[in-house]
Amino acid sequence: MQVSSSLRESLITGGKTVGDVSEDICRQVEGKPTKLWWMAFGVSLVLLGFGVYTMSMTLWNGIGMWGLNKTVGWAWDITNFVWWVGIGHAGTLISAILLLFRQKWRMSINRAAEAMTIFAVICAATFPLIHMGRLWLGFYWALPLPNAFGSLWVNFNSPLLWDVFAISTYFTVSLVFWYIGLIPDFAVIRDRAVRMGNKTRATIYNALSFGWQGGAKTWMRYESVALILAGLSTPLVLSVHTIVSMDFATSVVPGWHTTIFPPYFVAGAIFSGFAMVLTLLLITRKVFKLEDYITIYHVELMNIIIIVTGSIVGIAYITEFFIAWYGQVPAEQYAFINRMFGPYWWAYWCMMTCNVISPQLFWFKKIRTSLVSTFVLSIVVNIGMWFERFVIIVSSLHRDYLPSSWSMFYPTMYDVGEYVLTFGFFFAAFLLFAKFFPVINMAEVKSIIKSSSEKKH
Amino acid sequence: MESNKNFVLGVFDDEDVLLHAVEKVRGKGVKIHEVYSPFPVHGLDEALGYKKTRLPIAAFIFGMTGTSLALIMQIWMLGYDWPMIIGGKNFASLPPFIPVTFELTVLLSALGMVATFMIVSDMKPYKWPQQFDLRSTDDKHIMAIDLSTNKLAKADIGAILKDSGAQEVNDKNF
Amino acid sequence: MSITKKTYWKGIQQLKNDPAFVKHADKEFVDLGVENDPRHTRRDFLKMMGFSVAAASLAACEAPIRKAIPFVNKPIDADPSIPNYYASTYVNGGDYCSVVVKTREGRPIKIEGNTLSKVSMGGTNAQVEASVMSLYDNYRLRGPKKGNDNASWEDVDKEITAKLQEVAAANGQIRIVSNTILSPSTKAAIEQFKSQYPTASHVQYDQVSYYGMLKGNEASFGKAFIPSYDFAKAKLIVSVGADFLGTWLSPIEFTKQYSVNRKISEDNRTMSRHFQFETNLTLTGANADYRTMIKPSQQGLVVAQLYNLIAGKAGNATISAGMDKVNYLDKAAEELWANRGKALLVCGSNDKDVQVLVNGINAMLDSYGSTILADKAVNFRQGNDEAMAAFVADAEASRIGAVVFYNCNPVYDHPMGAQLGGALKNISLTVSTSYTEDETASMSAYKTPDHHYLESWNDFEPKANSFSLSQPAITPIFKTRQAQESLLMWAGQKVEYFSFVKNNWKNWYFNQSALGLGFQAFWDKCLYDGVLEVGSESGESFSFAGDVNGASSAVSANYKANNTGFEIALYESYGVGNGSQANNPLLQELPDPITKAVWDHYATISQKDAASLGVDNDAEGRTQYLNIAIGGKSVKLPALVQPGQTPGTIGIALGYGRTKVGKVAENLGQNAYPLIVMANGSLNYSVSTGVTPTFVDEPYQIAQTQIHQTYMGRSNVIQESVLSEFKKDPEAGREFTKITKWEEKVDPGTISMWKGHDYNNHHWGMSIDLNSCTGCGACIVACNVENNVALVGKQEVINRREMHWLRIDRYYSSDAADISDYEALEHASENPEVVFQPMLCQHCNNAPCETVCPVAATTHSTEGLNQMTYNRCIGTRYCANNCPYKVRRFNWFKYHDNQQFYEVNPSMNTDLGRMVLNPDVTVRSRGVMEKCSFCVQRIQSGKLTAKREKRKLKDGDVVTACQASCTSGAIVFGDMNDSESQISKLLQITRDEKRPNSSDKQIGNPRAYRVLEEIGVKPNIFYLTKIKNKDVTNA
Repeated sequence: MQVSSSLRESLITGGKTVGDVSEDICRQVEGKPTKLWWMAFGVSLVLLGFGVYTMSMTLWNGIGMWGLNKTVGWAWDITNFVWWVGIGHAGTLISAILLLFRQKWRMSINRAAEAMTIFAVICAATFPLIHMGRLWLGFYWALPLPNAFGSLWVNFNSPLLWDVFAISTYFTVSLVFWYIGLIPDFAVIRDRAVRMGNKTRATIYNALSFGWQGGAKTWMRYESVALILAGLSTPLVLSVHTIVSMDFATSVVPGWHTTIFPPYFVAGAIFSGFAMVLTLLLITRKVFKLEDYITIYHVELMNIIIIVTGSIVGIAYITEFFIAWYGQVPAEQYAFINRMFGPYWWAYWCMMTCNVISPQLFWFKKIRTSLVSTFVLSIVVNIGMWFERFVIIVSSLHRDYLPSSWSMFYPTMYDVGEYVLTFGFFFAAFLLFAKFFPVINMAEVKSIIKSSSEKKH
Repeated sequence: MESNKNFVLGVFDDEDVLLHAVEKVRGKGVKIHEVYSPFPVHGLDEALGYKKTRLPIAAFIFGMTGTSLALIMQIWMLGYDWPMIIGGKNFASLPPFIPVTFELTVLLSALGMVATFMIVSDMKPYKWPQQFDLRSTDDKHIMAIDLSTNKLAKADIGAILKDSGAQEVNDKNF
Repeated sequence: MSITKKTYWKGIQQLKNDPAFVKHADKEFVDLGVENDPRHTRRDFLKMMGFSVAAASLAACEAPIRKAIPFVNKPIDADPSIPNYYASTYVNGGDYCSVVVKTREGRPIKIEGNTLSKVSMGGTNAQVEASVMSLYDNYRLRGPKKGNDNASWEDVDKEITAKLQEVAAANGQIRIVSNTILSPSTKAAIEQFKSQYPTASHVQYDQVSYYGMLKGNEASFGKAFIPSYDFAKAKLIVSVGADFLGTWLSPIEFTKQYSVNRKISEDNRTMSRHFQFETNLTLTGANADYRTMIKPSQQGLVVAQLYNLIAGKAGNATISAGMDKVNYLDKAAEELWANRGKALLVCGSNDKDVQVLVNGINAMLDSYGSTILADKAVNFRQGNDEAMAAFVADAEASRIGAVVFYNCNPVYDHPMGAQLGGALKNISLTVSTSYTEDETASMSAYKTPDHHYLESWNDFEPKANSFSLSQPAITPIFKTRQAQESLLMWAGQKVEYFSFVKNNWKNWYFNQSALGLGFQAFWDKCLYDGVLEVGSESGESFSFAGDVNGASSAVSANYKANNTGFEIALYESYGVGNGSQANNPLLQELPDPITKAVWDHYATISQKDAASLGVDNDAEGRTQYLNIAIGGKSVKLPALVQPGQTPGTIGIALGYGRTKVGKVAENLGQNAYPLIVMANGSLNYSVSTGVTPTFVDEPYQIAQTQIHQTYMGRSNVIQESVLSEFKKDPEAGREFTKITKWEEKVDPGTISMWKGHDYNNHHWGMSIDLNSCTGCGACIVACNVENNVALVGKQEVINRREMHWLRIDRYYSSDAADISDYEALEHASENPEVVFQPMLCQHCNNAPCETVCPVAATTHSTEGLNQMTYNRCIGTRYCANNCPYKVRRFNWFKYHDNQQFYEVNPSMNTDLGRMVLNPDVTVRSRGVMEKCSFCVQRIQSGKLTAKREKRKLKDGDVVTACQASCTSGAIVFGDMNDSESQISKLLQITRDEKRPNSSDKQIGNPRAYRVLEEIGVKPNIFYLTKIKNKDVTNA
């Protein structure tokens, strides 16, 4: 008996059988890396190298290597931080929330998305670290550890400290969630290895799979673990960007001090996260020939979410302006006028076009379902989201309360370098993942093969 | 360890068939050692008559531990151990403590539960499982029946498996 | 044997009965020298440390060396960590200030005003505050030099004396050239020298000459002198081109007097009115109530016109010269006349005829005897331009046999310096006593360096019958010798100048001062006070007898009402002044009060001219050059567009373009002295003919600490009004922000989630009176020196990273119609009103910086201080971002022991410079945040002193560095819990009975406001509204 819905497009195409799934997914893990893979990996290592150089220079000479000044104390560092954290939201969100909503279409993308999350969060975390004037002390002074300085504790009133907890918790839980998902698939590779008689690989992947066997009882526990993790991750993922947004919302800086920030940042995070997922998946899909697993239908569904979140972000922008006008606080009003027409107008309008206008193109099914336009727009969206953070941070700081201190920010090569660093790491890490880990959650896909892929008997 | 154990394995490739098979086999009073599948088969645990797992309770308890730990830590550190005037706020002021409390709750709950899961299902990196059939992680469902726990003869069980839809019936000895 | 018989030996030596040990067996400590040995005095210690530092600094040239100075024998009055204070006198040419020198472990580390002085009255200015740094100038001469080789004093003396005798024998001319000399004993020494060498004569000149004024007074009263002025008595002040708050004659004294009538309150709703007619926007002009822009070529005519207007009212004969259509001139005349007897007219012109007219006007206004004390002549400027010119001519004509340059640098700072420099080689003996190898010294055959003033004995007579002493606060660091001693030595007398001075005082002043105590006691008292007032004013009366018509015709000949060509107005920069302290980085990094530029020399031009010349000077200080041709000469300077600059004029500062001065200022800018020309018998500091600026399209960036000029109509930052309004309502100009809640609008202070903390011991607070602050910037330097604030140099200032804890925000008014017209608000008016606002850490009770620090490195003390724990700081900079006042400063680099900052920040990078550091304040490390601490080290020492004396801390025990340096008394600091304290009285603090020590104090003073009240951070610094004495508000 064969259940295939006529209402929904099928999630997996090409008449795959359960066996095909293991075959298709494991192939790239077992095979040799392609030329393309090596090239991409090489490029990312070069980026990484340059980044490491600039970072060492900064650590050696001081934060003065950056373009910051007495008025603008944060710029690229925290912009990049928030940007990466935002990107880091999609993965867990897809797996967790969509799992709770029983959205089966998530299954072929969540693995990669989660991997992306992990790497993005690592990238994000580097910035709060290296932006510190005294990293060598800060990295552990910011933790509530008993210390040699007497009862010297951290300040739990500080949003930055909340960040420390939020980011580390988010990272740990995402990592666990991701790994739990990987365990059965590692077992698949292990057993294939045993059959191929590849002892080493078998041992490695057995260790990775924690000796997974797949008994019904384990599956039962496994599923409830996954479900609870999803339940925990959902508020967590929302809390992370909420707390990040509090870095700004709880301050007194006009343009930062805005109560709308938490929901608006979360929406923005999902927005940029999905865009980044698309960017990466469209590449992975091509490189590893997974067209049957990551279908146009997936792409379209994600594009729809991008329209929704993009529009929320747009409304948030407008609301900010309305409140600034309505609040009748001169400094506040100036801050927002200055965003639009001040020295950083270009950043503002770049953000507007990329974040608010461009996603609206997805209303057209043609664009929504075209891989090329999706790919382009997904990148445009992330450019826009970077500028959103830049606008919020720099254009608010550079002209705040006392005109005497107003000044400009000009990035140096070292500002850029640290950003490049994270890109280098991110892509290198993702390539390694794509090579050695199953990029698609086989167990889950197998569970829906029957209901969703039309068998040809 | 189950040494010199003899098992009869029913190999299924369709989860629906498997489900019915399980009911049939158990209906015949045969005790099933365990069913191994490449992916979770819904209803299988009921069919096998497993009790619901108590992991959620574990999760809750760990979560509560996190909450109280966080609150105690913050209030003690800033309120009692070394009070400091910070931004004119009270020494131990609740609202700013909420985020950290929440995060620690989630963290301990998640880690605690996963650790429990690993322990109860005896998963560890260095452990090689007893594999009845390597295809059980690929595309086959393996129903393992321990002869020593069943009165019925091997052949009979094989027959039962066959007519409940098993593609092949193998036996496996350790 | 019984227990009592048992002996416990102190050590193995006792057991062995080591004789050396037994000798000291009774002493607990052996040869540790803890007990005071009378044979060792403080001076010995100073000598010792002086030597070791000299060694250290010399050694530092090759390899880095750290020298520790062990207290082998503790000097009597140099206790570790206990500061000593010595009354002394700062004198730089004619600039005078009576000071108190703070020393730690024998090192002078801070200069403060001496309140006992009747002349400087405890005031200081930036140059005085910074002068302690020049003591540790690495460019100082280490000892006498012959040519370029070090020599011993013996040889140098021998050779110089021989040469002098030889010249004298040949009847060759001998000259001693100096700036104004205020010291009677020095003059005596020079007299002795002259008596030894009959052909010798003494030539005095001033970098900025007042010779025209001297001659004007001579023409008016038959005596070449400069009278005392008393701005405190003046209700109506008119100044024509005299920057008396900044650089003119005796700015410290004048600022003190001026501020008396600028302080107003509910009870005293009157203040002086001040008209300013000037070319460049000066500090004085910035403080004026009415300011009119005039060209230098009009100055004489404006004065003449004023003369006619006043004469008309007085019914005297008017004069021919004059010009009409000068803004506010009639009004000024009107009010001058109305305020006769309490009015004062001063004029910065160095033209004797103009000064004659000024005297005429003042005479008609009965200023003499009231606001001008002619019988209390001042000696600040005695330079004689003609004599100096003659000397240069003689030198060029090789009519001079020998010349001694006494602490002066004419090759650099005299208009004919170049010629003089060329002529020096014709002179068989050239000696310079300057303590650095400046332009003149380097061209002189012999360098016989004088002590720095902090190492010297000397006496001064700044005004008739007002005397002061200077005494060494440290033993000479180098092998230098007091110049007077040298002169006497060459005159064949080997006397210690100290005893020479002491003797003179015995003979001159002791008897006069009928104190009824022995001379030693008298002398000790004089040393202790640092000053001495003898007798009273001579009381001789002066009647004006100037030939006004002669002056008038000269004026109409020399001045034009409408000169179309460009003109140049030269001025002394507020930082480096006349250039003698150019090598002092503290002054180079002091933002010019008006332009806010540092480390730079530029030509100020008006907005109009900028447009016509094509200069594009953007907010970031990026600009282009002007090539300014004057007759034959020409200077190339970057242009700085300056609101308030008279169109058609170019302002150029003196004091730059030094070539032999040391790394800090070498070749920084252009030397403007050569532009000065002799006119009408005296040096003229403006050029009115043949000036042609041409635009040179080369990019240049001027470093400014403030790049946004207006306050954008933000009345929560600056709250100002005019006297007429204030008379009606003392709350005039106040802005009462209200927060709208659902039901009603409420005061921001009342909304809070928290009830706040009580400060049960002290509650430190500060009040800053925007009306008396003149913006001079002395407090900035004082703060830098007191708190070891790093200097970062030009590039880092361009990067907007200056480290000043205290800055003075300078805002111009704009022509914008309403406050939503941001475009217009950003542009200053052509002749703007100026308001200065000292801005430092506001020590908010609800400090936003504290909340956001993840490691609690900045927290609040129980005395209301916002304190910064450097050691705990990890440098997230979140606090700085969240500081609404932007007063937090981050250590972007390692500013100490870092080659990158060796030149600009010697006090943290050179062994010699380090001696100026205040041991009570940490030198901050890289990557930490820092900011104003309310001089917490002074608060602590104040509390400790009170504790040691077993008494309660009383008001005045704790004085912050900025407060101490504030000549106009705009800054008041104190304990707001103490109802008797000055600040409590000033702010009229009333305390809530239920919580008397609550952090929220009720402020009664209607002028007092907190900046950015509406954000509810509750600062502990209050500002008093700025009130201009104008008739109408112009919004």
